[in-house]
Amino acid sequence: MALYNFKKIMVVPTSKEFIDITLSKTQRKTPTVVHKHYQIHRIRHFYMRKVKFTQQNYHDRLSQILTDFPKLDDIHPFYADLMNVLYDKDHYKLALGQINIAKNLIDNVSKDYVRLMKYGDSLYRCKQLKRAALGRMCTIMKRQKQSLEYLEQVRQHLSRLPTIDPNTRTLLLCGYPNVGKSSFINKVTRADVEVQPYAFTTKSLFVGHMDYKYLRWQVVDTPGILDHPLEERNTIEMQAITALAHLRSAVLYVMDVSEQCGQTLEQQLELFNNIRPLFANKPLLIVANKCDVKKISELTEEDQACDKLLAHRVDGKMKGKKVHDVLNRLHLAVPAKRDEKARPPFIPEGARIGRKTMEVDVPKRKTERDLEVEMGDDYILDLQKYWDLMNQDEKYDVIPEIWEGHNIADYIDPDIMKNLEDLEKEEELKVKAGEYETDEESEDEEMQEIRQLAKQIREKRKLKIVCSKDKDVHGPRLPRTVKKVERKTLEKEMGDLGLDMTGKDDSHYAVNARRSRSVGVAKKRKREASVIPTSRTRSQSASRPPRDQSGVRDPKMAKQAKKLMKNQQKDMNRQGKKGEADRHVFDLKPKHLFSGKRKSGTNDHR
Amino acid sequence: MRIEKCYFCSGPVYPGHGTMFVRNDCKTFRFCKSKCLKNFKKKRNPRKTRWTKAFRKASGKELTVDNCLEFEKRRNVAVKYQRELWSKTVEAMRKVEGIKRKRQAQFIFNRLKKGKQLEKEEAISEVKKNIHLIKAPHAGKAKVMEEKMVQKLQDVEMVDD
Repeated sequence: MALYNFKKIMVVPTSKEFIDITLSKTQRKTPTVVHKHYQIHRIRHFYMRKVKFTQQNYHDRLSQILTDFPKLDDIHPFYADLMNVLYDKDHYKLALGQINIAKNLIDNVSKDYVRLMKYGDSLYRCKQLKRAALGRMCTIMKRQKQSLEYLEQVRQHLSRLPTIDPNTRTLLLCGYPNVGKSSFINKVTRADVEVQPYAFTTKSLFVGHMDYKYLRWQVVDTPGILDHPLEERNTIEMQAITALAHLRSAVLYVMDVSEQCGQTLEQQLELFNNIRPLFANKPLLIVANKCDVKKISELTEEDQACDKLLAHRVDGKMKGKKVHDVLNRLHLAVPAKRDEKARPPFIPEGARIGRKTMEVDVPKRKTERDLEVEMGDDYILDLQKYWDLMNQDEKYDVIPEIWEGHNIADYIDPDIMKNLEDLEKEEELKVKAGEYETDEESEDEEMQEIRQLAKQIREKRKLKIVCSKDKDVHGPRLPRTVKKVERKTLEKEMGDLGLDMTGKDDSHYAVNARRSRSVGVAKKRKREASVIPTSRTRSQSASRPPRDQSGVRDPKMAKQAKKLMKNQQKDMNRQGKKGEADRHVFDLKPKHLFSGKRKSGTNDHR
Repeated sequence: MRIEKCYFCSGPVYPGHGTMFVRNDCKTFRFCKSKCLKNFKKKRNPRKTRWTKAFRKASGKELTVDNCLEFEKRRNVAVKYQRELWSKTVEAMRKVEGIKRKRQAQFIFNRLKKGKQLEKEEAISEVKKNIHLIKAPHAGKAKVMEEKMVQKLQDVEMVDD
């Protein structure tokens, strides 16, 4: 409703303020730094942005003004007329029109200069263009000074207008000045209108609200009307006339019976007749006021006026087309009587009892709490007495819950005995069928023997594996034939395998063993002094001379050679090396070489 | 008071033991010990973790379908306490337990029979292959041969005579 917008109109700044605000906004909200050496598109963009920003700001603000101010064609005719009376329709429209023109002009300016800016080839040129654009826009605004001022005043006045709802129940007080309209409204509502002995105390419309028959009523107080033709009426009177003309209300024409207002009854009646056409279609009541001063008994105005208006309004509504639609849809449905049977409303027993208990204080049953209080210290909470079991004497049983790791509750079943019987029968059948017989075939001796042999075999294999792992020979291995096989071990092994090794003195291996021994001994005796005894095994061939004898002329040379060998080994022996190839370092980082200050010495020794 | 089942290993969770985990969809998981809980948190599938009962049942290592197992079941029907029913139930439990154990044992025994057969065959093949490790092929043969020869000679002599 147009009502509320009047208070929400934005403040209209003066032209100077307007310009200041917009320019300072441009200054703050757009980038400020630009240099000559920037790329030309950047410079252009910078200045174009400023121009566009200013234009945008002006445009926004002016549009807002234009939309905020009410359009006289769009609002209720009462307000339109009121505004016309107060602010002059033409002037108002003109002002808004000017603003609109200004807006369009500013847009055009901005468009032109932005177009021109595209051809600016230096910072100076662009800057000048921008200056020109902003200058023109501000000049346009300067020219709007008058309109803006006028609009500001209109806005201020508009926001102070009383909020009269043209559509609700209204009582309109009219009459000559100083007849007592404002006093009446003060009495009837909470309004606080100025009451003074001079005429035209009330210079504009005032609204008050009152309650009657649970409804809100507006009471509108008008400035007094004088008796002259419409054209000659001033603004103040025109307000009253407007109100009369447009508000659908009950009119209370207040007359001063005592003639204290300065007009005679006849004059007042004349006025009444003059403005009678305005009362068309409105319930009218003539109020004789100030009758305490001059007593003429009259009926109380209030009730009659309100009732009359209400009736009038209802009548109006009933006659209107809209009501018919609603009436058609309203229908009170009553079930038709089917037969003579009486069907009273049904109230359930519980509700009836409840109602009864509420009415009469029936003694309630004894609660546990009562019992506790009675028994004091002896009281034991025994909920099991309320249990509802098949046998009442089982109430205090201790119920078993667990048996040997099983929950008894999992087994509880009314049919358990039957199931158990079935199970037992099944079990019997199974036993009979022989499912549970462990067929341990008494294995025949052969099988047992085989098992034993297998066991022995496995053991033997494991032993062999372990022995071979124990040997721990890394590197080149000597062939098996190098080793001398003892007669004893051979005979033992073969004996374990089951062969008969007794009386084997004549066997080949025994003879050879004896022979080799004797040969070795004999050789020892035959040895010459020059020939140095060497450890020879049977595997070595006798024809090839050993290394330390080959190429050696005489014992003297041999002695020398040996001496050389020993000398060479001295160093290695001293260092505890196994041989030439032993490069093992026992201590990679000996402490004495890596600690302390580097005084005399080398890395190898200190 | 109930003995619950551990979600992971299906073992008994006595009152006052173990932990319970409640998921956002209101499903509760009870665990008998932290081992089960840790495995659960690692998102391990109890049906694939070899030491759990769930695995054993799922891979057919234990008796799964049997009438005696139908006795212990969570029935969602409340039965009012009757002394005789309860006492009979305890008796029945004893018997059922006995039968159950027998049957479970038999099941496992049957399962392991095949192994025994294989063992036998293995022993036989082992002996056949590796008898030489403990017994020389001609172990007793020399003596037998000798005896035979002696016998022959004697026969010949006898014949001569």
